[in-house]
Amino acid sequence: MDERDRHYNHLLFRMEQLLYHELSDCASWKTELIGTDFIQTQDIQGSSETEIIDACIARLKAAGLVRDIGYRISGKGILLTLKVAGCPHLLKEKLLRESGIKPYNCLAANMILDQLIEKLGYATTYLADLAVDEDKGECVIRAAIYATPEKIGEVSDWSKE
Amino acid sequence: MPDILDVIVSRKSIRRYKPDPVPDALVDKVLEAARWAPTGENYQPWRFIVVRDQETRDRIADLARLGSGSRMTAWYCLGHMQERFAGIDDPVKREKVLRFMYSGEVSAFAKDAPVVIAVIGTLMEGSVDVPYDLSAAIENICLEAHSLGLGACWVHGPVASTRDAKKFKEILGIPTGLGQYKVIAYVSIGWPAEQRKHPRPKKPLEELVYWERFGNKERPRRG
Repeated sequence: MDERDRHYNHLLFRMEQLLYHELSDCASWKTELIGTDFIQTQDIQGSSETEIIDACIARLKAAGLVRDIGYRISGKGILLTLKVAGCPHLLKEKLLRESGIKPYNCLAANMILDQLIEKLGYATTYLADLAVDEDKGECVIRAAIYATPEKIGEVSDWSKE
Repeated sequence: MPDILDVIVSRKSIRRYKPDPVPDALVDKVLEAARWAPTGENYQPWRFIVVRDQETRDRIADLARLGSGSRMTAWYCLGHMQERFAGIDDPVKREKVLRFMYSGEVSAFAKDAPVVIAVIGTLMEGSVDVPYDLSAAIENICLEAHSLGLGACWVHGPVASTRDAKKFKEILGIPTGLGQYKVIAYVSIGWPAEQRKHPRPKKPLEELVYWERFGNKERPRRG
């Protein structure tokens, strides 16, 4: 990582640290639009979840913002699991964790969730969990995606997914 | 000066209301209480939008259900909600409570409350205490409503996420710029249609209070 990327990671870390200090665990709810400006300029097209997600991943990879993203939809269609590898913001998550704060804001996930809402009219989404594996250089994100309001309350056990 | 501790400790968050209207005179008293909340440098950044219109309240209720329900469904799927409510021994009752939460119904009662007061604050007048001032105003609203025999509930659900806060602003015609107005919550008000158990468990003071320095639980002897 060059000095420029390190610098930007430190900026993001300080901002997210402050937001967490001010907002506690609802900081992630407030940061859901961070990163979406990029994807909104990319003319993402698709008529299904997989088409939209694939298109977002292709654009993120082409722009060098991730090395790869794998994903799976399960849990009655509500659970979107993303495995993000080679993200330039991994240092930000490491710094947060070292400061005692569980990482809570994934820019790549924000972009994908944004496009499900913007392009497919999903009722809402929620980034529920972000697990960072520094050794592997990847993050696993579990997000809830609700195509319609009626999907709210369709529960399952995500530990078995 | 009367001691208001009884008003404070007997207040409950009321989520079920009778359909009976709340007279304007009582709403005015509640708003007057809000107006007198403490405010940094007397900026008074708060603005209050009083909503009685059924269609508007329905839209706020739907937004609240979506907001709280989307999060709580995920928390249930992750097992967090079950841990949080493990203290309810009766499994049938526990599941009923959990369903009430993760369905989002826990936050969707604006449709049944005769009055909803949206509490927003201007970010354009220089106040450095907007969220804190608004919170103090909300507490005054809740206490005054209770002292008048009304029920009230402070609801953050429909404005908790950035997208939902924007939708909430659009419903009420509030400028949506993030540098213009902060919307912090709404308070639902009406005549209570429920008698909630009270008091709910509260942590004892011994667990909450330190003396002179953080962590020191031993109260110093005086005199």
